[in-house]
Amino acid sequence: MKDNTLEPMKAKITDIKEMTELEKLFTIEFQDPAYAEGFKYTPGQFVKLGVMGVGEAPISICTAQSGGQELEFCIRNTGRVTNAIHRLKVGDTVWGRGPYGNGFPMDLYKGNDLLLVAGGLGIAPIRGVIQYALQNRERYGDISILYGVRCYDLMLFKEDMLDLFRNGDSRGVKFYLSYEDEEDQVCYGLECERDDRCMQGMVTSLFKKIDRPSKKTIAVIAGPPIMYKFTIMELENLDFRPERVYMTLERRMRCGVGQCGHCIVGTGKSIKYVCKDGPVFTLWDAINTKGMI
Amino acid sequence: MSGKLVKILAKSNLGDLVEALGEYGDLYGPVKTSEKAHSFMEFESLSDIDLSYTRTMIPPKKFFIPQEEVLFEFNIDEETYTESPIGEERVVLLGVHSCDIHALNLLAKVFTEELPDKYYLERKERSFIVGVSCVPDEYCFCKSTGTSYAQEGFELFLYDIGGSYFVRVGSLKGHEFVETHLGLFEEAEPSHFDAFREVERERLASFTRELEMSGLQDHLDMAYDSDVWAEYGDKCLGCGSCNLVCPRCRCYDVQDHLNLDLNTGERVRKWYSCMLKDHGLVAGGHNFRPTASERIRNRFNCKGSLREDMVNCVGCGRCTVFCPADIDYVEVMKKVRGDLV
Repeated sequence: MKDNTLEPMKAKITDIKEMTELEKLFTIEFQDPAYAEGFKYTPGQFVKLGVMGVGEAPISICTAQSGGQELEFCIRNTGRVTNAIHRLKVGDTVWGRGPYGNGFPMDLYKGNDLLLVAGGLGIAPIRGVIQYALQNRERYGDISILYGVRCYDLMLFKEDMLDLFRNGDSRGVKFYLSYEDEEDQVCYGLECERDDRCMQGMVTSLFKKIDRPSKKTIAVIAGPPIMYKFTIMELENLDFRPERVYMTLERRMRCGVGQCGHCIVGTGKSIKYVCKDGPVFTLWDAINTKGMI
Repeated sequence: MSGKLVKILAKSNLGDLVEALGEYGDLYGPVKTSEKAHSFMEFESLSDIDLSYTRTMIPPKKFFIPQEEVLFEFNIDEETYTESPIGEERVVLLGVHSCDIHALNLLAKVFTEELPDKYYLERKERSFIVGVSCVPDEYCFCKSTGTSYAQEGFELFLYDIGGSYFVRVGSLKGHEFVETHLGLFEEAEPSHFDAFREVERERLASFTRELEMSGLQDHLDMAYDSDVWAEYGDKCLGCGSCNLVCPRCRCYDVQDHLNLDLNTGERVRKWYSCMLKDHGLVAGGHNFRPTASERIRNRFNCKGSLREDMVNCVGCGRCTVFCPADIDYVEVMKKVRGDLV
């Protein structure tokens, strides 16, 4: 354990996959063997990832921990730091510290069905949940995944997702896909392939397609801020209790450890720091903490 | 009879006390810097400071979280972040009021619990805090916030009881100091305790400003959609002065400063303000608090919230005194409660 929580640790980029025109998938490995060895995380946690001379940004880990010490990050080129990361090549150095945040309580979900709802880049943290659930398949019941994309070109983790779309059922995974762009021929093709699993519309329209979730279902939401309200309306219509709905939130963060104050949300009654109290919250947290969604 | 944690210091010995403290570390105290302002500054002799001050503009947090500090120096070619030396300075803060001590205790919760901040811990370790009793002015409301009496977070606390100071010892470090300087102090007699009680009674009776704190957390929650935020959001200049002078505000920004050689530089952290527009801005352009009303609402909710059992405002009055738009903290909170319309 390093004695300075803010100290960035050196990591090498071991792989880069182009995903869309905006997103790339980076695989990194911490260079300090003890740090890499001690880096234990759960899906939904994040790392402050940075480029020397530019800065740091909070990026969620999009894998579930398995044997190796490699970490994957799906990064959208959208700000100063992510832009700098996008300019890096395999073998280059990035700097990271973490893991931070609470992550999804996968142990708590044991014995439950999972309903995972992801919009756009929200699939990144959800992918860790999917991986974890598939690695520990016997712990969870039915798994349904609702993934909304703008168009095929912007679909992330295409290989994984199309595999789940086509072959998920054999692993007890029902994968649903929505696409916004009416002109999208590839997505239309997928819809023709399985019109019970794919449709044009927002991710919330997929709620028309799914079977009514059992009482023992945990819902997990990740996506752009606007998506939460509408997804929660759908879940409330399905009588989900608020403590069974989980979501992961995005905020500006400087420190990642509950000091810098930027990610604060709530009122006098309930103030939360998204970085340390979250980024995963339940709907019950959101009901208690105004401004969360 | 008075035990080891209460002593009496003759006023004529104050100079000697200051001298003895000077052996522990560099002396800082409230120096009058202008008609309106005091500042904790380094001093040499007692005559340089004004222990009867009401408040400094910048609170003592600056000794523990400097306005700007270099966290690391980096070198891109060598791929190194080198921790900047935190410094060896031992700081003696003389004349800290109980509200500010409470604020430091709150800051300590933020910076020393969960993931302890190395910089804060080291500075705290090397500090020696001497509290001094005060007389409230028309802006003070620490009696309401429950912070008018410091139970911990200081080494010594001096109460002016007329001819002498009634001294409370608040920590092991303070105790050790007293034990090694016994010649400065006298044992407290019953009459000293009576004088202390009388001084406290008078001080508590002299507050003119009050804020009802009970249920404030829920009142803030219920006022989430209140017009009060638009009213004060319109007045607010968004300058962030309230954050800088607040002894409890500790938001910071982290910036990487690259030198002109494009190879070396510094990672610095500096005080930041939730009243500035980009406090809630994330990459991609979404701002979680885009308007002044939302930002001022956030600030008051943050101040009115609890850290464990301590409210995040210590009633020092600085944000009101130094607001260029004359936004009065207590007035806003009274409107939140519906006590004022």
